[in-house]
Amino acid sequence: MSSVEIIQIWVAAFFTLAIFSFLYKDNPFYKLAEHIFAGLSAGYYVGLIWKAVIIQQLWDPMLAGSWWLVIPGILGVLMFARLWPRISWVSRIALAFVMGNTAGIFLITQLHGIVLPQMQSTMLALGGTAGFASALLAIIVVVGVISTLIYFYFSKEHTGVLGVTARVGIWFIMVSFGAHFGYTVMARISLLIGRVYFLADQWLPSFSQLF
Amino acid sequence: MNFWDKLGTLDRRWIYLLVALSVIFPLIVPMSFKISITPEARQLFEAVDALPDSSVVMLTFDYYPSTVAETEPMATAALHHLFRKDCKVVTMTTIPLGGPSMAERVTRTVARKYNKVYGTDFVNLGYKANWVAVLKGMGTSIEAIYPADNSGTRLSELPLMATVKNYDDVSFIFVVADNDIVQNWVSIVNAQYGTPIGAGVTAVGAPKYYAFVGSGQLTGLLGGMKGAAEYELLADARGLAEKGMGMQSLAHLVIILMVIVGNIAFFAGRWSKKGKVK
Repeated sequence: MSSVEIIQIWVAAFFTLAIFSFLYKDNPFYKLAEHIFAGLSAGYYVGLIWKAVIIQQLWDPMLAGSWWLVIPGILGVLMFARLWPRISWVSRIALAFVMGNTAGIFLITQLHGIVLPQMQSTMLALGGTAGFASALLAIIVVVGVISTLIYFYFSKEHTGVLGVTARVGIWFIMVSFGAHFGYTVMARISLLIGRVYFLADQWLPSFSQLF
Repeated sequence: MNFWDKLGTLDRRWIYLLVALSVIFPLIVPMSFKISITPEARQLFEAVDALPDSSVVMLTFDYYPSTVAETEPMATAALHHLFRKDCKVVTMTTIPLGGPSMAERVTRTVARKYNKVYGTDFVNLGYKANWVAVLKGMGTSIEAIYPADNSGTRLSELPLMATVKNYDDVSFIFVVADNDIVQNWVSIVNAQYGTPIGAGVTAVGAPKYYAFVGSGQLTGLLGGMKGAAEYELLADARGLAEKGMGMQSLAHLVIILMVIVGNIAFFAGRWSKKGKVK
């Protein structure tokens, strides 16, 4: 293990322990780690955007003859008009371009790529012929989709058949929340495992190199 | 105040300590739990395994450093599987903070074990801002979106990229992500260009993506550290995820126990209050 690697490990271990110290109570070590993380992230992001976007995708191609890139360049500069209240309205030109563009792309991609295939998959499932188990699952999916949609139908009071179906919908939503919560617990424990494993596997062995 | 009331007002730091001990204990006394393979993980493995040798696979590092415990074992196991099959790997990321450097570090570490050469066997495209433009634009021309790789080398100087112009030249996309970008890979790339996609996601996002496996929009799915452990077993590339399953299982048992005890305390406290009122 080189001395540079040992320094890296100790810095990472210090910040890991500083962040974990918040679990006991708020303290200066936690605050220090939090502020350094925020500052470092912002600096890294600016540097990366400068290199990967401004230089590689705007400046270099413009020098190579793609002069029309000056238009998106100007639109980008217009965003900074928000810093001066008197001319902040100018930034709306760039924002309008971004919003119009994004809305146009998402309208198609969400409908074509998410809504229609998901609806199709639910409908096809009903006609499945792959045995009793898959037919039962298909019925559960269809009942779940319809009852959940009815739960979110608020134009009519949830009484009678509508009320019963909406209650079934609540059960499906609760099961979904339970699954999400279970997975979230698993995710958080995994992150803890990652840091504990780092401390045990890299930081603790580095003691023998130092002392 | 009886026992159940005291339990209800227990300082939460005792719970933190208990969870921490449940994670540390298996490090001291190794514990092994059987890892069952889910159909979604097997589907993903089989889809990658069925690719012809030397196929071009795009592997995305769409995750932040904060979730490496879950996601990095997936990317590492996928790289072992791909390099062993002699697949050509193109890595990229839509995550600015750490994405490019993690892709560089992980890919080069695994590539070294298989004597793979940068530029010929694998390329790291790095990061570009605005993922909508990136995902859509690569369908027309990867070089238009990434004029240079992560280190600034022009794509025209990399032999691998001479044969990889757009999604038509990519046989499979393996997305490793900790955010909603998977949905956009599906809706923009799979739906419009038809490139098959498999995903490894953090456990938080996994429930949402099972519907995409059901509809055939995702070829397979790995959910969280458990999913990573499954792929490590399937690809015979055992690593952190497989080692972490003992800790994960014990921590889950402790949490389940606490949920049960917490509920008993809640209801017992309520009943004793009702009894006092009567």
